[in-house]
Amino acid sequence: MSLRDHIDALEADGVAWPDVDRRKATAIVVFLVPGLTLFGIFSVGPIVYSAVGSFFSWDGFTIESFTGLDNWIRTFADPLIVNWDNILRWRFPMGALTQNLLWVVLHVPISTLLGLGMALLFVDLKGRRILRSMVFLGFTTPTIIIGLVLMFIYDPQAGIFNELLRVIGLGGQVRNWTQSPQVAIYALIAGGIWVQTGFNMLLYSSALAAIDPSLIESAKVDGAGRWRRFWDITWPLVRPVTAVVVIMGIIWVMRVFDIVYAAGGSAGGPNHAYSVLGIEVYRAAFEPPIDYGKAMVVALVQLVIVAPLALYIARMN
Amino acid sequence: MADDTHSPGEPTPASSRETDQYLPPDAIPETAPRREDDVATRLAAAVPSMPRLLKYAIAITVAVLWIVPFLGLFMASFRPLGEILAGWWHVEGMTITLENYTRAWSYQTAPMGRALFNTLVVTVPAVLVVMLLGAMAAYPFARFEFPLKTTLFFLILLVMAAPPELVAMGNYNTLREIGLFDSYMGLILVHIGWGLGWVVLFLRNYLLGIPVELEEAARIDGASRYQIFRTIILPLSTPALVSVAVIQFTWVWNAFFFPLVFMRSPELYLAPQVLPLMTGRIQVEWGLVAAGSVMTMAVPVFLFLVLERYYKQGVVAAVTD
Repeated sequence: MSLRDHIDALEADGVAWPDVDRRKATAIVVFLVPGLTLFGIFSVGPIVYSAVGSFFSWDGFTIESFTGLDNWIRTFADPLIVNWDNILRWRFPMGALTQNLLWVVLHVPISTLLGLGMALLFVDLKGRRILRSMVFLGFTTPTIIIGLVLMFIYDPQAGIFNELLRVIGLGGQVRNWTQSPQVAIYALIAGGIWVQTGFNMLLYSSALAAIDPSLIESAKVDGAGRWRRFWDITWPLVRPVTAVVVIMGIIWVMRVFDIVYAAGGSAGGPNHAYSVLGIEVYRAAFEPPIDYGKAMVVALVQLVIVAPLALYIARMN
Repeated sequence: MADDTHSPGEPTPASSRETDQYLPPDAIPETAPRREDDVATRLAAAVPSMPRLLKYAIAITVAVLWIVPFLGLFMASFRPLGEILAGWWHVEGMTITLENYTRAWSYQTAPMGRALFNTLVVTVPAVLVVMLLGAMAAYPFARFEFPLKTTLFFLILLVMAAPPELVAMGNYNTLREIGLFDSYMGLILVHIGWGLGWVVLFLRNYLLGIPVELEEAARIDGASRYQIFRTIILPLSTPALVSVAVIQFTWVWNAFFFPLVFMRSPELYLAPQVLPLMTGRIQVEWGLVAAGSVMTMAVPVFLFLVLERYYKQGVVAAVTD
């Protein structure tokens, strides 16, 4: 039973108040109230607070007066969020929103394809559990450590990535990748892909495991080649998972914070070169000069981008 | 026994041998039938073919490549800074030392020992309370109809999509107001409120798979709804509760943003919060950072390896259901 069914069921029987079983109603309240209270105070409340607060002016942490769309207009005109001049010249910093969307555009498709590829590669191998766990390891690690590990890999002296460049004769490219404004964002996105691939592989693996092997066998007997078998059998069966993988990827990327903070601090890199929306919220809300209005607008933008996608997943089932 | 239909690379399936089982008693031979495949063919069957071997080689290379960064981190944590700067991949004449660990453990700004303790103090209650309250709230969602159910559902989905940054401002002001800012309790409450959404949804989906008949039988025997919850629902949802525990533990333990915002006194810093401070200003103390990182990630990684099945099932179910 899915959410959709629930909605339909609710609409169908309407409100059934008259013959309420009192003890049942009490039980429902007892079960729900403790959890929902905390959920309301610490999750729903703050979101509503931000939604309302984004239309008010703020004095530090104190709400002042209604200003309409003032915060919203101010935020979108802020070069820290969208920097049109630099976008047109394709120079970083291009603004946190642009950079965050660049993450989405690169990170999501690549990590999805890699995840699918690895799931297919590992699917019938002995010891696949170990192989999968190795690839998945990064996803169980604190993301702040992922960020620090990336700094370590890209370090000009101690970093293995630069050593690799030297070995293959690209010694001229050696640099501190996470601190070079024009390339750092790509270096970090590569790190994001590194982590997320494990997660995507796991989702694809479980989808592949659910495919009846006799289907593949009979296709083999019928003379279908590898490619045909993939497109005609495997792909239609893993396509619904792809939607989940892509949407979870977008949600993950729109929230990315720790990796960027580890590499570039709360500024999001030299001259904000690879700042993302989460970093802008943190700086606006908790580092002087405090600008709660802007912080709320930016955080809402993060939500507005992913909320329809999350609802889409919920409806899909 | 003719075996021509099978390619030599495949072992004989059990089914074709089973036809021999029904010989009349007097026809049973005195000696066991000789194996028809000799050592050579059996060896050939056990050794994978060339393309398959290549596949293994690629798969293992990819998997090893994927953990090289962690391997580097691990090696660096046991070596002096000089050797790390020369490259941790040079293994000849390497010095193994625990100095990085002892230094990280008593790091002056915020000792790792203390930070790990703080992390545990925050994580354990945040996980246990979420499990209990989540299971309680999931039960009516799975079994009863009540007003506002759909609305609550949408709110849960909304919160699951929301970035943690969105609740930071409101919670900051709330915690200041009630005097729990910069305290264990404040951070625990924020984590509980944040985790409840997905836990309720996850457990509800699991409970929908438990047959209602069990509860109906208990109802007829006169059990109250609370007794049913305690004696039927909770024990039956153990696998799902273990999944919730592992995933929520990993999430709270690994969380960086919430501690960064809500924990301001160095003696209350959580482990993930301390790590970026260790990078220092001029020369990054890689050994120190690595040792601190290994200590911090050891707990969730260990938990993942031990409860791997629950973790993976939970992750898959949480996002696909």
